[in-house]
This record gives sequence, structure tokens and C-alpha cells, in this order.
Amino acid sequence: MSGVNLSGIVKAYGAVQVVHGIDLDIAEKEFVVLVGPSGCGKSTTLRMIAGLEEITAGDLTIGDRRMNRVAPKDRDVAMVFQNYALYPHLNVADNMAFGLRIRKMPKAEIKTTISEVAEILGLTEYLDRRPADLSGGQRQRVAMGRAIVRHPKVFLFDEPLSNLDAKLRTQMRAEIKRLHNRLGVTSVYVTHDQVEAMTLADRIVVMNNGSIEQIGTPMELFNNPANTFVAGFLGSPPMNQLKGTLTESGAKVGETEIKLNGSVATQAGRDVIVGIRPEHVTLTAGEKTTALPISLDLVEPLGSEALLHGHFGKDSLVFKTETGGDINHLSGVGEVHVNASLVKLFDAETGHALSLGA
Amino acid sequence: MADEHTTAGGPPVQEPLIETPSSEGRLTRFYDHIRREWQIYLMLLPTIIWFLVFLYKPMYGLQIAFKDYSIFRGVAGSPWVGFEHFETLFSNDQFLRAIGNTIKISALNLIFGFPAPIILALMFNEVLHASYKRTAQTIVYLPHFISSVIIAGIVITAFSPTAGIVNTVMGWFGLDPVYFLTQPQWFRPIFVGTGIWQEAGFGSIVFLAAIAGVNPSLYESAVVDGANRWQMMWKITIPSILPTILIMLIIRIGNVMEVSFELVILLYQPATYETADVVNTWIYRQGLQSGQYDLAAAGGLFNAFVAFVLVMTANTLSRRFSRTSLW
Ligand SMILES: Nc1ncnc2c1ncn2[C@@H]1O[C@H](COP(=O)(O)OP(=O)(O)OP(=O)(O)O)[C@@H](O)[C@H]1O
Ligand SMILES: [Mg+2]
Repeated sequence: MSGVNLSGIVKAYGAVQVVHGIDLDIAEKEFVVLVGPSGCGKSTTLRMIAGLEEITAGDLTIGDRRMNRVAPKDRDVAMVFQNYALYPHLNVADNMAFGLRIRKMPKAEIKTTISEVAEILGLTEYLDRRPADLSGGQRQRVAMGRAIVRHPKVFLFDEPLSNLDAKLRTQMRAEIKRLHNRLGVTSVYVTHDQVEAMTLADRIVVMNNGSIEQIGTPMELFNNPANTFVAGFLGSPPMNQLKGTLTESGAKVGETEIKLNGSVATQAGRDVIVGIRPEHVTLTAGEKTTALPISLDLVEPLGSEALLHGHFGKDSLVFKTETGGDINHLSGVGEVHVNASLVKLFDAETGHALSLGA
Repeated sequence: MADEHTTAGGPPVQEPLIETPSSEGRLTRFYDHIRREWQIYLMLLPTIIWFLVFLYKPMYGLQIAFKDYSIFRGVAGSPWVGFEHFETLFSNDQFLRAIGNTIKISALNLIFGFPAPIILALMFNEVLHASYKRTAQTIVYLPHFISSVIIAGIVITAFSPTAGIVNTVMGWFGLDPVYFLTQPQWFRPIFVGTGIWQEAGFGSIVFLAAIAGVNPSLYESAVVDGANRWQMMWKITIPSILPTILIMLIIRIGNVMEVSFELVILLYQPATYETADVVNTWIYRQGLQSGQYDLAAAGGLFNAFVAFVLVMTANTLSRRFSRTSLW
């Protein structure tokens, strides 16, 4: 009933087109995260759903209704802004009541709604404070509360956590996830933080330059990125990408031939990009692994894991390995072992993922 | 405390937590500060000099309000007379009438003149067509840049009983011409109206700037919440610029006694003194035209004193009730 459908959505400012025909079907109760680099059109897309930007072309439906020309207030969406957009002259309770008062909800009902939501968000004791007297996390919660009290069909979030420090962000992320599980409202969430995207999303939409690169569950995108852009965007650190050429039995990268799973013989000679996730290597050889010689530049300990920064030819690479509580033994690493079954291949020209024939 | 520092002739065991500034240290720090920031003080200098020369130095002359001043004996040489001039002032009907007129005109100015630029700014804010808005703004700013003499000329012409546009229009409806500027009951409306025409546009700039400073996502959030433009104006714009409004109001209240002197001089005539003569014009006539400098100085001092009390009161009230104040 309250799914959101974007079909061929285009946004142009004058002659400049910034969103180039987006197709996206969001199911009811789904949590979809739009992620992509700065300027790729995430906010613009979200604001078109909210009705804050006019849709240049294409169709937007929420529920069963085409919304292109419907005023924002009649779309039954609630939005949480990056800077929270709290009214500085109103206290927390009045901030949350703002939308309800405008909709002429009876006073008593407003009161119960607010105290319920304040309870959920742990804001009960701050109800008569002004936003200026709240911490960043509390403000963020008020902004969420203002959206929740409206009981909208769709929640729209535009980078709601980007003004918080790392610790608070992790905490609020979990809280948003819990809230979504509890309220089950269709949500569209914009972020450029891929960890937020991975942890929150039912499905992630990776955008780049005003187009969608790939849509899928976090694990689909992680395991099977559709192209080099998605591969380089998700995962931290992102996937290593090496230029290579297919041979009869593998992929030749520099002087090294990396063994592959599956047969590539028919494609021999094709230029490819070989993708290796930082965590998909071992320090010891195993079955079906290839030794990739690297010159190590730097070891960054993260605790239980460490990042190995190194070079292979001209390409700089990063790998992730267990430390076992000690990093001294890592300084002598001269090669890593690449597991054939985990290597990804992309077309060198288009960047599209290649499937390895069985 | 001192004992801790000099234990048994040894070196001080503990540095004091907060250095108590010796007078010498303070002086050195002052020089250091000046050496570092001298450019800023240099930029401040013209303003300070201006204040000293034009506002502080003349205060020396204020003492003649308490003296039997004569030009020949000079300020220092004239004998003290205590509050004699103030007693004269407050038994002078014309002065009391001038105080009354000042208050009445100021009250009208406050009631009608103060909201005018705010309303203008709010209206401009609702105009979406950019070039129409720019043109309209320029037109309302214009009278501010015209000399009061010309403004007064325009007003006098407009209200003239023979050629004036006002009387001409009234003639179309069969009304008899009225010589507005000779009739005491018309002075205040014309004066206050002229003031609004002259200054409301320019005064709106401050409020427009305040409106421009309102976070645009407040409006977007309100749009999504279903607010219309009228509700956004009342619930977002006005509360957001309220601190600016209050500051301007404090300044305005401090100037209550300073009814636009030139414009009164230019528009009034003996026939309208009854409603038009304000404290400043009265001082001007006493001091410069009748040569009673000491009495005029006493009037001026009284004026300044009232203004001081008003601005302090307004500031205190504003700070108490809205956390906004000039200082
Ligand atoms: N009013 C406008 N006029 C012209 N171009 C605009 C306008 N608003 C946005 N753009 C352009 O549209 C593109 C997408 O902007 P958008 O705000 O959607 O990016 P974003 O993905 O949200 O980026 P970020 O992560 O930095 O918020 C940008 O290239 C931007 O320059
Ligand atoms: Mg954005």
C-alpha cells in the first residue's frame, strides 16, 4: 500500500540534468538506502520524493497514487534533515507538535502522541528545553520524533547522522534500525557513509553521477558488485583493482598469473580488471591460491586486525589480515595469497562485472 | 598560601594554579597585546576620536545647564545656579507642551512607524519574482536618500490647498480644500506618515537581512509538515527575526526623544506649534534664536537623561523576557 515507485525520474536545473532517469521500486516497510559520492544526486532524488523539488520527467507513485504534482503536505511523507531543521524558538514538545498542530489534531491527542514518542526516544525529560540547550544526539532524536509523531506512510532521511561524532553515529544508527523494526514504516535513507548503508539497509541503491549503478541487498552488493564503481565504493577498505589480461587458465597481472575459478579459456586475451577484496587474502598459501608479491609500505594495526598497505607494480593495494595480537611478524610480509574463488573480474573498458563460465 | 611557595628557603614547591597578576605583569601583557593587535586598534581609532571630539568634548559645555551662563564670562567663569534652569523649564508651559508633543509623536511613530519596515520586509520576502522584487525594493529605498528639505518640499506641495494632489483628489469627490499644514490636528498624521514613507523602505533592509539568515531547511521542514506560507510567516519567519526586532525596538525606544528635528523644523509653523513643537525644536528656538543657552542646555540634558533611562529600561526588560539585549 505505501510502497514508493520511481520510474524514469529525471531532474534538470535549466539545461543541466543532474538525475538521469532513475527506476526504483521500494516495497512497503522496506528500508532503502541511497548511497553514493558527493554530488551524485541522492538528496535531489530524496527531495523529489518529498516534493521539495519538482520532478522534471518520469513518474513518482506513493501507495497507488501518482505524486508528481501533489503538494508535499499531501504526500504523507515525513523528512529528517541533515541539520535537523529544529525551530530554535520552540521547545522540544512544540517542535514535535508543529506538524500535528498544522494538521489541526486535537490538543489532547497531540499530547498523548508526543509523550508516547518522547518515551520511545528517551526525550521525556527534555520536552520543555529549547534545541539550543540539547546535545547533538538529542537534537537528532527530536528531529526523528518530529517525523515519527506524524505517522507518515514514508520516512525520508537526508544524512541524518552526518553531524554526529563517530560514537554517537554508531549508537543512533542502531537506534534507527530498532525504530524501523518497531514501526515498520517504508524508509528512504540518504547517506554517503557506506557503513551506515550496509548496516541499515534492506536494500542499497548505489548512485553515481545521477544514475543508479546497482540495487541489491548489502550482501549482494558486497559479494557481487555489478561494476568497478560499486566494488570500489562498498567495503572498507574498498576492493583492490588491478589491470590484467585473461589467459588460458587465469588472469595475468604484471608478471603474476592469478588462478581463477571456472574456465576463461574462450576469453583469453581480453583486458580485465581483477578485483580482490582486502580481506580475501591469506598470508599462507592454500589450495587454489596464487602468491601475489607485494612491496609493503606500511602496517596499520586496528587491534584484532591490521591493514597492510603495499605496492604491486605501480598499483597501491590494501589488505586486511588478522593480527593474532601482534603485528611484528607482519613487517616482513612480501607476498599475499589470493584465493581463486574470491577473485572478481570486470571488463577493463566498461567496468561491468564478468561472470566466470563454469 | 604564601608559605607553600617558600618552604624552608628552597625553591617553590608548587606553582600557583591561577597566576595572580602583578601590576607589572598586567602592564607587560597589555603592551604585548597592543603589539600583537595594533592594526585592530588603529582601525578603531577614528571612531574613538569621533566620539571624543563630537560627543565627549561638548559634554564639557553641559555644565552651563547648572550655571548662569554668559558668553562673555565663558563656561568656566559663569556662576553656578544649581537647578534654577530646571525649575524654570518645568514651570514653562511651552516646554511642558513640547514634552507632551514629543511623547505623542514618538508614540505614534512607534505604533505605526516601527512595524512598517517589518511588514515591508515580510512582504518582500513573499515576492518570488526576483526582478520585480529588486525594482520594488529600490523604489522604497529611494526616499531615504533624498534630503529632508526636498522631502518636506514634496509634502508641502502635495498637501497644498491650491495645486496639491491631495486636495485635487478630494476636489474630485466634491470635498472642500483643506490647508492641512496650517491645521494642528493634521500635523501629527502628516509628520508620522512622511517619516514612514521616508524611512520604512530603508529600515526594512535590516529585517530582510535577518530573514535571509533563517535556515532554509526550517521552511522545507514546515512545507513537508503541511504549513502554508501564512503559517510559515507567523510560525517561522517572525519568531526567527524576533531578536532583531527587539534590538531595533530598544534602539528605537532610546531615540524616542529624538523626533526627527529637521523634518519638524521644515514642516511646522507657528500655527501648528500647538501639536508640532517638540523638545528639540523648542531647545533650538530658545538656544539659538533667543540666546538662552543655559536654559536650552538644561532642556537638552533633560532630553538626554530621559533617553538614557528609556534605553536602559528597554534593554533590561528585553534581557529579562527574551534573552536578547544590546549589551
Ligand atoms: N539548484 C541547483 N541548481 C543547479 N544544480 C544543482 C542545484 N541543486 C543541486 N544541483 C546539482 O545537482 C547535483 C546533485 O546534488 P545533490 O544535492 O543531490 O547531491 P548529493 O548526492 O546529495 O551530494 P551530497 O552527498 O554532497 O549531499 C550536484 O551536482 C549539484 O551541483
Ligand atoms: Mg545531499
